[in-house]
Amino acid sequence: MSEAQATPIRPKSEGREPIVVYDRVVKRFGSFTALNGVVAQVFPGEVVCLIGPSGSGKSTLLRCTNKLETIDEGAVIFDGMPLPAEESLARVVRRRMGMVFQSFELFPHMTAIGNVMSGPMTVLGTSAGQAREEGMALLAKVGLEHKAESYPGELSGGQQQRVAIARALAMKPEVMLFDEPTSALDPETVGEVLAVMRKLAEEGMTMVVVTHEMSFANRVGDWVIVFDHGRVVEEGPPGQIFGNPIEKRTQDFLSHIGWSM
Amino acid sequence: MTFDWSVLWASLPALLDGARTTVLLTVLTMAVSIPGGILIMLLRVAPNRTLNAIGTVYVEVARNIPLILLAFWVYYVLPLLLDLRLPPFWAGLLSLSLIISAYNAETFRAGVNSIRRGQSDAALALGMSRAQVMRKIILPQAGRRVLPILANTWVSLFKDTSLVSVIGVHELAFTALQIRTTTFRVLEILTAMAVIYWAMGYPQAKLVDWLHRKYGVVE
Repeated sequence: MSEAQATPIRPKSEGREPIVVYDRVVKRFGSFTALNGVVAQVFPGEVVCLIGPSGSGKSTLLRCTNKLETIDEGAVIFDGMPLPAEESLARVVRRRMGMVFQSFELFPHMTAIGNVMSGPMTVLGTSAGQAREEGMALLAKVGLEHKAESYPGELSGGQQQRVAIARALAMKPEVMLFDEPTSALDPETVGEVLAVMRKLAEEGMTMVVVTHEMSFANRVGDWVIVFDHGRVVEEGPPGQIFGNPIEKRTQDFLSHIGWSM
Repeated sequence: MTFDWSVLWASLPALLDGARTTVLLTVLTMAVSIPGGILIMLLRVAPNRTLNAIGTVYVEVARNIPLILLAFWVYYVLPLLLDLRLPPFWAGLLSLSLIISAYNAETFRAGVNSIRRGQSDAALALGMSRAQVMRKIILPQAGRRVLPILANTWVSLFKDTSLVSVIGVHELAFTALQIRTTTFRVLEILTAMAVIYWAMGYPQAKLVDWLHRKYGVVE
């Protein structure tokens, strides 16, 4: 094993402060320890992919990032500040992060454009006119401006997820959190969602992506973090994780899901 | 046995007047009890323990005493207790509203609980406050979902308004029973009363069926 592999290069970290730091994060659900001292960093402009077996804690870590879950020990630091304990201050931090869910969670009583407008209008007090204009631009960006007046129930899974991405982007977030965004999709619509995510990545959006799409993590990810039993098993650039993993548990996980190096 | 249906023609204006009061009582009770029910539901789901206890005690008391007893209590006891003497109509409206609000609170609570957690997660993730999540995201969905149940409550309420006749509210039942007393035409009057209740209730029941078909399916 060469030196270069032992201390992998992380290009987007050069001369930059991380935007998200997980400092020995512990999260328990009753007697179950979901996160057991997670240490990790996300740098601006990076696409960080969290992979690992189901129940290994990756989604929980994502939910701790914007305080949808509170942590029991350690700290989650966003832009140099630990997440505030007080709810009203935590809300201000949440606005700066967008989140996309496995099950889309579009608001079923609003149209696609209504969903996209809901955040800015409710939270930022943006006027309806401006929110609509910006929202239409975002729907165009995800290729769905022609579905603006459709309700979520009238859209395919892939379309719903693209609207959900537009809804999150409407808040002009600094970081986008993706919680298994393609796991609930029909195989034929996975590609359209990944394409939108890839475009976002190319525009320089900072993204934390919990995913089972290994080829996405391999091709689009800048940094891959492997989870098991609430801990980081291994992290590194995709070339290392998918080409030449160091840890036995990483190798086991990848071979278990059928990844061939 | 001879029937004298002509008594009905003579009584018809009075009966229709009673029917109008029945409808008015139903509409006003619901108009009070929908916001009332939402308010009490919000108390019941509040994180604050005191508010929570107030909501729970209210619901458990109000929905477990007979309406007829509450009507008597409001009409006869409130004047003694608080020196508050309400005219029969308002006493009846108050009693009905107190009980229907408790029913509606439970209906709304079931509706709110049926909205999956991901919906509030998504709204919170956008930066909404808990109050905004409730108002913009949860309640509109819950409201649609409980519409058929509210409609059922409406139909029951429509018939239960007859109970406040015991404190002298001049609604349909009171009026009919009064005419019976003065004319002794028991069969005719009670039949007319049944027909009027049925004729007004049946379209409402059909409307409920329609709402069930339209909104009753979940997800």
